[in-house]
Amino acid sequence: MDNKVNSTLIELKDISIGYGNKVLHKNINIIIEQNDFIGLVGPNGSGKTTFLKTLLGNIKPLFGSINKKEITFGYVPQRDTVQPLLPYSVYDVVMMGRYSLMGLLKLPSKIDEHIVDSSLEKVGISVLRNHSYNSLSGGQRQRTLIARALAVEPLVLILDEPTNGMDTPSHYSLLNLISELHNKNNLTVLLVSHLLSDVANLVKKLMLFEAGRFRSGTIEDMLSEKNLGQTYSANIEVKKINGEYHIASRHKE
Amino acid sequence: METINVLLELFPYAILGSIAAGIICSFLGVFVVSQRVVFLGAALTQAAIAGVAFAFLHLINLEELIASVFGITVIEDSFLHHFEHTFFSLLFAVIAVLIFSQSYRQKFLTKDSLLGIIFVIAIAMRIIFIQKSPSAEVAEIESILKGDILFIGSAEFYTLLVILIIILLIFSLFSKQLKFVTFDADTAAAHGVNDRFWLLLFYLTVGIGISLTTRFVGDVFTFAFLILPASIAILISKKISQVFITAIFIGAIIPPLGIYFAFEFDISSGPTAVAAAFALFIIVYIYKKLLSD
Repeated sequence: MDNKVNSTLIELKDISIGYGNKVLHKNINIIIEQNDFIGLVGPNGSGKTTFLKTLLGNIKPLFGSINKKEITFGYVPQRDTVQPLLPYSVYDVVMMGRYSLMGLLKLPSKIDEHIVDSSLEKVGISVLRNHSYNSLSGGQRQRTLIARALAVEPLVLILDEPTNGMDTPSHYSLLNLISELHNKNNLTVLLVSHLLSDVANLVKKLMLFEAGRFRSGTIEDMLSEKNLGQTYSANIEVKKINGEYHIASRHKE
Repeated sequence: METINVLLELFPYAILGSIAAGIICSFLGVFVVSQRVVFLGAALTQAAIAGVAFAFLHLINLEELIASVFGITVIEDSFLHHFEHTFFSLLFAVIAVLIFSQSYRQKFLTKDSLLGIIFVIAIAMRIIFIQKSPSAEVAEIESILKGDILFIGSAEFYTLLVILIIILLIFSLFSKQLKFVTFDADTAAAHGVNDRFWLLLFYLTVGIGISLTTRFVGDVFTFAFLILPASIAILISKKISQVFITAIFIGAIIPPLGIYFAFEFDISSGPTAVAAAFALFIIVYIYKKLLSD
């Protein structure tokens, strides 16, 4: 019992999320535990990003409370939202992850530099350290943004649609990297995606978002044809072949 | 050489002031251009000009206001007369910045639309204010709005110098926070940086810099030097430090050159400096295009 209490990182109690007077979801009750690997899935506009922003504290819940310890979040935004005109180097971008931890007027120390280098190593782009961020491919940019989130030395890593717009090899290589970061570093990971197939064979728990309805549970509980059909308003087929989930939309004859 | 000697003798502060104004605009321009809020420059220059025009309505007597707030008697002098224009130019620019900085609070208008509204309202106010100003002062208003660099005297130069130092100080001391929020405000907020505060400080600094340079050198010079040196620097630089050094160098070199050509060919100094900066931009752009082909 004690173990379970200690491993609780975040507890959301009866929270409602939304903007202004617009409530997107209400009565959300969920516990995020250490070493969780959770997929946040749902159609575009179903409230995934609002949920994340509420969790991060960027917007306040409309109702209810969020109990979290002194948690450091590492946040990886959607890659398309970061398109600088200035020629920042990969090192510059990853160092930004350290900024919130330094004093107001302090410059990066040797320790900060070491952590940045170690973060670059973890995502396998040490050789790109001095390259311009603008000159990188989509996959390399995404790895840079993940390295920046790791430079925070986070307890919880949050990734918002990390594989959007990527070619197939980069797509799977990135999912492998995220899985590896979770397994090797015992990192709690929240992965947002509108692609169910991305997360089905990767995460341990699932949060399903649909208009006005929120459900969460273990992957086995949530991946039923009925649940997914309701979430995506479609006829969805779920098969488990050789231990892997295969999810497809049934076309009407 | 003779022209240079004459200029140095007759207009030393105009030359120094143009350099200071050029540096202020080009330095802030790097952030404005890279943030993709170039129209902010246009909107703020017009807001600043509307503020100057408002000062000539004499609706608010600053001397009386200072006297009533601080309980002191201010003797009417020429400094306060000029300070009044600067004060209202600053005030209008700051109000425009505060309105713009609220854009994140709502989802109904894009940043561009909001800036467009500020821009046209500022122009409309400027026209109305000038129409309602005492006719004897219209010529003075027009000359301030046009902003001839050659009229920069010691007081204007030192004001620009102080503003330049303050801007450089703010951006040096808080470079981490300002760099992060202007690069990726969402992640900065997620990582615990107060993005709203730092973005507000950023926009206020930009607003103050733009309003004061507009007041002393005019809207055309200010807007042009916000965009052109930064755009040239971004075109040719491979490192972030190179961008700033190049932009500042161009911002410092071109205005005195503009004064030289203006004096030589008997034309306005501000537009000549803008034309010189544009010529440099075209040369750099063609060179870059040829290299990439």
